[in-house]
Amino acid sequence: MHFLAYIVRQTGKNLRQTWGTQVMTLLTVTLSVLLFAFFFLIYNNMLRASARLGDDLRLIVYLDQEIPEQNRPEIEKKIHEFGPVEKIVFVSRAEAFSRLRAQLDKEKDVLNDLGPDFLPPSIEVYPLKNLHDLTKISQFSDFLLTLPHAAKVQSGSDWLRRFGDFTNLLQVVVLLSGVLLIISMTFIISYTLRLTVVSRQGELEILRLLGATSAYIRLPLLLEGMLQGFLGSSLGLGALYFLYQWTTSRFSGPGFLNLFDFAFFPPELTAAILLAGVALCTGGSLFSIRRFISI
Amino acid sequence: MPRDASTDKPLVELVNVTKIYPPDIVALEDVSLRIYKGEIFFLTGMSGAGKTTLIKLICRLETPTRGLIEVAGRDISRISPAGIQRMRQKIGIAYQEFRLLEKQTVLQNIAMAMEVTYASTKAIHARVDELLALLNLSDKRDKRTGELSRGEQQRVALARAAANGPSLLLADEPTGNLDPAATELVINLFRHLNEKNGSTIVVATHDKSIYAETEHRVMDLHNGHLSAHPNRAPRQIELFEA
Repeated sequence: MHFLAYIVRQTGKNLRQTWGTQVMTLLTVTLSVLLFAFFFLIYNNMLRASARLGDDLRLIVYLDQEIPEQNRPEIEKKIHEFGPVEKIVFVSRAEAFSRLRAQLDKEKDVLNDLGPDFLPPSIEVYPLKNLHDLTKISQFSDFLLTLPHAAKVQSGSDWLRRFGDFTNLLQVVVLLSGVLLIISMTFIISYTLRLTVVSRQGELEILRLLGATSAYIRLPLLLEGMLQGFLGSSLGLGALYFLYQWTTSRFSGPGFLNLFDFAFFPPELTAAILLAGVALCTGGSLFSIRRFISI
Repeated sequence: MPRDASTDKPLVELVNVTKIYPPDIVALEDVSLRIYKGEIFFLTGMSGAGKTTLIKLICRLETPTRGLIEVAGRDISRISPAGIQRMRQKIGIAYQEFRLLEKQTVLQNIAMAMEVTYASTKAIHARVDELLALLNLSDKRDKRTGELSRGEQQRVALARAAANGPSLLLADEPTGNLDPAATELVINLFRHLNEKNGSTIVVATHDKSIYAETEHRVMDLHNGHLSAHPNRAPRQIELFEA
């Protein structure tokens, strides 16, 4: 009990003695975590959106004439031979028209002057859920264009490609901010502890002469790093959550955020970022302790 | 009371200890010495005779160039760093240069010695008050040590060394800055520790007034060589040679 009380009291003493530097350190840790978590949050949401778009992927083959019922199995066979698919749906002109009417809902009257035959028939090909490779999608599109009466294939691969490129770019940004986070946190904590050690040099020397154990001298410094990591990460994540809440409430309604179903980190990921922050700062402390304190 | 060397085991034993500082300054040469449990031992000699070196060697602040040093029967060169720290908790050391934190109060400076042993705050305060009363410093308890006179600082350093009721107290020139009245207080503190706690006290000094009348053992260091003090009884030479 006394041991713990001493460690905590000594940590408090260290923090008080170098409070100016401690505040700066806390700010740096907070900003580093905020920066990293911000990009990671966007990246995380893009990944989720990308997965959802992949799930909804379908290739539509527009035909210049309807495929007679008796020829459909042969076409289905050709498609299956090229690659496994989840399902194949043949859409007639009438069916396409009725779908459009349903989609237009109250504005379906605009279709009154158009006949039910104005839309082209099509084949909807739903690839397996695991088909996310844009090259394969493109190859699939090229093959579908060779089917009898195929006029055009719509796969949305161009849009997916751009989305993928953006996600890849974001991945690089997240990695860079992660590296920045690691460097800045370990450096700043290590530097702060160095200042603590320098400011207490005389006291540490006397403690050593009085028989202070390694734990008595090192644990408060380690605890100082852990505390900085915990507080800095909590504040950084808290600030991001505040920003997220503010953004979602301010930009609610139809828009970009709703399109992607923008969400905050799940609790386990939040805890993981927090723990990573604590671990990095503790690592920085350990590095400093080993380097600057010999007992 | 002087101890009987024939029956007691030595608390500190030095066997043929030599200490040479680089490049070739011989501080101690071939020194052999036994200090017995419960003994008050005076080590005299001129400045630079090697008294401080001997004290530093006993608590392993220095390591000997040659020879063996045992404390409580253990070769201290073989004790682990953690073991040395535990050993230092039981050895009180009053340094010649005091080594106080001048921005901290008398209470805080003395408390440090007990805090490293995780003593309770209540016990620390009680002990500090007791020691300050013994050294006539009660009114200085909450003063910063930087504001005290040299003599007062010296007594604070002694109080810190005595705080844990050490089994061995090493005092390096403990009366160097004290007037006769304060010197008397320090001698009384040593007696108190020796009689109440059974502490072994080693006093390195060139202040004749504190050992002139003593019945305890006095030995002299001269140019790194240890010998019985020239003005002491032959019995002490026997103890040295035992």
